[in-house]
Amino acid sequence: MTPLTPAPRRVGFSRKLSRWDIKVSPYLYISPFFLSFAVFGFFPIIFNIWVALHEWDRRLGQGEFVGLDNFAWVLNQPAFWTSLQNTFSIFVLALVPQLILSLLIAAILDQNLRTKTFWRMSILIPFVVMPVASAMIFSQVFGQFGLVTPLLHDLGWFTDVDSPFFHNRFLSHVAIATMIVFRWTGYNALIFLAAMQAVPRDLYEAATIDGAGRARQFFSVTIPSIRPTMIFVILTMTIGGLQVFDEARVFDGSGSGGTGQGGSDDQWLTTVLYLFNLGFGDWQDRMGQAAAVAWLFALVIIVFTLLNFFLTRAIADSGSRPTRASRAAAKKLVAQVRAEANAPTTHAERPTLTEGSQR
Amino acid sequence: MRFTRKTGAFVALIATTALVTSGCSAGGGEDGGDSPDALTIATWVDIPETLLEQFTEETGIAVEINSFADGASAQTVLRNGLGSNGAGLSDVHLVELDWWTEMMAVPEDWVTLPAVEDRWVDWKVSQGSVGDEIKGYGMDIGPLAIAYDSTLMQAAGLPADPAGFTEFIGGEDATWESFLDAGRQFTGVSDAAWIDSTSTAFQAAINQLPSAFEDPDSGDAMPLADNTDIEDLFTLFGQAAEDGVSAGVGIGHADWDAGFQARRWATVITPAWATGIIAENAAGLEGWQIAEIFPDGGGNWGGSFFAVPATGDNTEAATELADFLTSPDAAVEMFLLNGQFPSQLDAMADPTVSETPNEFFGDQPTGGIYAALAESAGDKAAGGYRGVNFAGIQTLVMDGIRRIETGNEDTSAAWKSTVSEFDALGLTD
Repeated sequence: MTPLTPAPRRVGFSRKLSRWDIKVSPYLYISPFFLSFAVFGFFPIIFNIWVALHEWDRRLGQGEFVGLDNFAWVLNQPAFWTSLQNTFSIFVLALVPQLILSLLIAAILDQNLRTKTFWRMSILIPFVVMPVASAMIFSQVFGQFGLVTPLLHDLGWFTDVDSPFFHNRFLSHVAIATMIVFRWTGYNALIFLAAMQAVPRDLYEAATIDGAGRARQFFSVTIPSIRPTMIFVILTMTIGGLQVFDEARVFDGSGSGGTGQGGSDDQWLTTVLYLFNLGFGDWQDRMGQAAAVAWLFALVIIVFTLLNFFLTRAIADSGSRPTRASRAAAKKLVAQVRAEANAPTTHAERPTLTEGSQR
Repeated sequence: MRFTRKTGAFVALIATTALVTSGCSAGGGEDGGDSPDALTIATWVDIPETLLEQFTEETGIAVEINSFADGASAQTVLRNGLGSNGAGLSDVHLVELDWWTEMMAVPEDWVTLPAVEDRWVDWKVSQGSVGDEIKGYGMDIGPLAIAYDSTLMQAAGLPADPAGFTEFIGGEDATWESFLDAGRQFTGVSDAAWIDSTSTAFQAAINQLPSAFEDPDSGDAMPLADNTDIEDLFTLFGQAAEDGVSAGVGIGHADWDAGFQARRWATVITPAWATGIIAENAAGLEGWQIAEIFPDGGGNWGGSFFAVPATGDNTEAATELADFLTSPDAAVEMFLLNGQFPSQLDAMADPTVSETPNEFFGDQPTGGIYAALAESAGDKAAGGYRGVNFAGIQTLVMDGIRRIETGNEDTSAAWKSTVSEFDALGLTD
């Protein structure tokens, strides 16, 4: 190479710089997320393993290396297994009504309503309320002098115990599940609504011409069309639902002298609450065990979510999804019809139809 | 164009760097020495405004209160702060006796406070010390008493005046047994429960033991299965719970304040600091009184200290504030505001404390009653030994009593399950 004169060198360098710029700056722009994720997300996950493998005191920090002792200790605690059962019980009790309710609400909002935006926003209000605030209100509702308990007493049920929701295991799960349903139904309904809006309106027109009523249309058109969204919602619900904490923690009025830690019999001790009690509760030196719970529980969630995913997909597949052969046949048919009608695309027709149906 | 793009990259870089470093750049500042503009206090009890104004006037330092809903939430913040080298801590912290040991696990976390001669009862000073270093200035103590609803007693046709009530629960020689038997008698003729929660009474009884769960010499937990003191108490309170003397609603529970308003129970175990809390929750009700004796001779429950975290920027001024807040005069003010019974000798002797009638408790001079109760408790007034595992084991055992209270288990089954839960923890291996 010949020695470079100052001028071209500057050009060369700035070109180089601008090449770097193009290559590097996009990464810099997105780096805040990744850096903060690395600091607040990824590092704690990895560090957690380290904690789980050691004796760990809340104040003194790291103690001796104990290998898998913490995991063994946790697996030997009856409370851990109770907490898993409770978590799943609350999850199931919350998931089913949540799904049904949010689908129904979404279906109603999908109709031609007056003041659409008002209704759409109002169903989201429970989600905006602080979880702790709503949990405190609900613990009053289910308390001895709340709305529900006197009703039960009037019906002659659970009269011997003052507020069965704080004592009876199943009822406490129902109460906590109610709080979760209250909080998340509107949120999920909005996601379903978004999916429903994308369902081609001509399908409904066709169904109406075929003589299908509103209910039939809902089950045969709406539900099959939003399957991918349902899978998404169910999966996020699974992950979120298994992590129940706030509601259970605040349920009977926090930890000040009350139980506040999942009930005297661990009636509503969820796994995350158990983790919290171990790491931040009455014991000084249980951080390692809490970390072990975190890992065990993460494993459970992963397994369960995968299971749920395959299950949901299998159900979705076995439903009305056509087989490969019938799909091929259908494709042929469509192509035939298209050719005959000489229509450019179906997409071009849709907007007019949609407009027509919305009028 | 090229310039803007470069600037953009530069800005992104700066933003990123700022984001990363901002997490670590907090702190610093001067240490001790210079007098600061303001100090912060973390507390869950109200501190009289006049007191704070007086401090500001004298020193020129403003005082800000970081107020917590209850001791438990103040405790959580303190725990996390100590665990992260003082992040988020206030300059002065109120610490309750129940979790004092836990906070003092590392004495170096706390400033050693200069001795103040003849201010407190001796045992309060030794409670607030680690070894021979004073780590906390005593605010109040918690002499135990029983508050009762004389309206309910009257309605049940039982003695309602303090002297008659005292006789009803066993007089001078009252024991937990006679107290609970009185409860059985009461629930026989009334729809209300005798006590808000058996577990609260049980906890008071535990506080009367010299060493409840741990060996004072080694600090290790004692095997619960062999702990006959606890088992006897457990059986005593468990059987009372089976007999339905309790409403099963403890302080802090969602139903507790509503239970007062509905007159669901006749008695509440009331350490001095709880008088203010009861007056608040039972606001508008008439007839609540304080009994003049306590089963098994009385004792102490809780009481708090002001302590100064060593990581603070202004430890010197903070120490001054802690000293100011625990002066006998301040203690009298605190008593008048919240009903906390002073741990300061001069304040205890102050007629304002012993003679001021308490409006909520039928104009009884509650300060005088608590003083007499504290005196008659003798050695028990100091409370028993508490090691680092005290709180954890106590929660476990109280949960056992609650299971009986709720009808989920009978007494012997509840004791068995409590022991096996304790064993599963592996504390005594």
